[in-house]
Amino acid sequence: MTFDSHATALEIAHAVRTRQLRARLIAESALERIQRTHTQLNAFTEVTAQRALAEADAVDQAVAVGRDPGPLAGVPYAVKNLFDLAGVVTLAGSKINRDHPPACQDATCVARLRAAGAVCVGAVNMGEYAYDFTTENGHVGATHNPHDLTRSAGGSSGGSSAAVAAGLVPLALGTDTNGSIRVPSSFCGLWGLKPTYSRLSRAGGFLFVESLDTIGPIGRSVADLAAAYDVMQGEDECDPVCTWRAPDLASGTLDEGIDGLRIGVLDGYFSRGGLPQAHAAVETVASALGVKRRIELPKPELARAAAFIITATEGGALHLGRLRNRAVDFDSQTRDRFLAGALTPAAWYLQAQKFRGWWRAQMAEVFRDVDVLIAPATPLPAPLLGQETMSFNGKEIPLRPNIGIFTQPITLIGLPVVAAPLQGAEGGLPIAVQLIAAPWREAALLRVARLLEKSGACRAPVAQLAA
Amino acid sequence: MPVINDSTVVAEVTACCEAYEQALVANDVPTLTRFFWDSPHAVRFGVGEQLYGAEAIVAFRQQRVINFTDRKTLRLTVLTLGQDTAVSMLEFSVVVAGQKRQGRQTQVWTRFEDANWKIVSAHVSHAVVPPAEAWLAFVDRAAAAVDLRLDPAFRSGVAENVNRTAEIVGPLLAFALPETAEAAPVFTP
Repeated sequence: MTFDSHATALEIAHAVRTRQLRARLIAESALERIQRTHTQLNAFTEVTAQRALAEADAVDQAVAVGRDPGPLAGVPYAVKNLFDLAGVVTLAGSKINRDHPPACQDATCVARLRAAGAVCVGAVNMGEYAYDFTTENGHVGATHNPHDLTRSAGGSSGGSSAAVAAGLVPLALGTDTNGSIRVPSSFCGLWGLKPTYSRLSRAGGFLFVESLDTIGPIGRSVADLAAAYDVMQGEDECDPVCTWRAPDLASGTLDEGIDGLRIGVLDGYFSRGGLPQAHAAVETVASALGVKRRIELPKPELARAAAFIITATEGGALHLGRLRNRAVDFDSQTRDRFLAGALTPAAWYLQAQKFRGWWRAQMAEVFRDVDVLIAPATPLPAPLLGQETMSFNGKEIPLRPNIGIFTQPITLIGLPVVAAPLQGAEGGLPIAVQLIAAPWREAALLRVARLLEKSGACRAPVAQLAA
Repeated sequence: MPVINDSTVVAEVTACCEAYEQALVANDVPTLTRFFWDSPHAVRFGVGEQLYGAEAIVAFRQQRVINFTDRKTLRLTVLTLGQDTAVSMLEFSVVVAGQKRQGRQTQVWTRFEDANWKIVSAHVSHAVVPPAEAWLAFVDRAAAAVDLRLDPAFRSGVAENVNRTAEIVGPLLAFALPETAEAAPVFTP
């Protein structure tokens, strides 16, 4: 067996576990690709070559002595640079954090991936402090979309999506507050999993909005997402939010099909606005699944407003000290929004938090009658870097505040979502749809995703980089 | 030349305007709908929307979340031209996301065969307050209250963002939640 950039994480792990390939060779090959493509993509902010080789050697050694090297043995992966990596300064996309000391231990999810045999090759770019949908980082520059280098890779986990779409790694970790896994998955044509709020530990991640933050994997195959998700599950007393529920492993049931799952397409708010591609993608997925049912949610526009206010308020509050002392060192793309967020009237925030409780009850009713909802992920495919406006309902509106128009309502109550990618026609750009379920139903979502992958309706190939 | 401001006709149209205003404050969509001419030719220009035809007007009203309980009539002028045509011109004030706005509303009324007055065309606007500028005083005071010494270079950008947030939060604040609604907990202990 030869190793190339198209291999999935589980193909790599299988080759390593069955002694067809050495983890060290895979790590070296990934490090070489990262080096070679850096000027084109600007995805990595830190390459942890020494660590990667040491982790790969440990895997090879385990295999050599007949010890189980773990389900992700030898799989190279990258993390959004807000995750702690022992010995590395956790930037969270900022200039200010460069003055922090290096992290003294790995984030929980990184430690769990390492325990599963995965090999960390580095940290990747993101929008500053995750308040972003395009990864046009003012301090280190924009990350470029491997499908079209003039376009955004999405944000804020844009380094993660670019690294996976370019075939540098088969898996990367991102975070999602208002869409920061789903948007880059859409723009780069990848699978992304935003788990239920509190399902995966966020300990060792530099947070953004405590009430909404989640972490999850971005990849090119559904089985890879499930494998990464499974090894990261489990309680963690270092994260006050992390659930004490028993893990619900998704890998074992992936191929069970969708019999018994009630699926509907979201209508109303989710069927209006944005470019036709966004809605055509929803129809393609609905027809691949044989879904005709349309469902309208109560007040999704207010759910979006509530998520917007909670984000601004908690984000601003989190950074208040830095805004007092170092406002000038913030990225100009985020500074004014963080400052404004820090001044939000309490009545606005509390109305949003009250609405959150109300909407949770409303959505529980919706989910008595349906298991999976289909909606667009983004109102448009990857915009050009530097683009300021987009067309929405026939009007030109500011681009950046509106990219999350379809992801943001869902975030409010922490529902799990899989971003399922559709590839554009010849020369066209990819775009994803959201598969949304009730809390804790990731395994069901991944079964639907797996069926879409098998049917060929959704796929996530490596992008061909221009030479 | 039609008779201008025949007192009976003025009284009729004024009563219609008052009933319409009452329905608007209550967001009574069926009543508001009955006041509009049920025709594809009916047009309503709102503050932020252009609606052509009765169907579009109804659809807009049904999905709109508003709270006009603070809306006050400042001055109503009714001009009638003959027995069957009138124009009403209203100045009002309203609070949008905590900000008082002055507005204007012009409606063209026609009496149809069934003797009912209907609005055939309407236009609503808010007096122009450069919105971000209106927030500068708030930004300065709120920043001082949390010990944030705001660089003058960032003031207008911050005010613009507060203004955008205010626009987004407006309908959320207008939404009547049950008294018993509690703020959602951040985590379950």
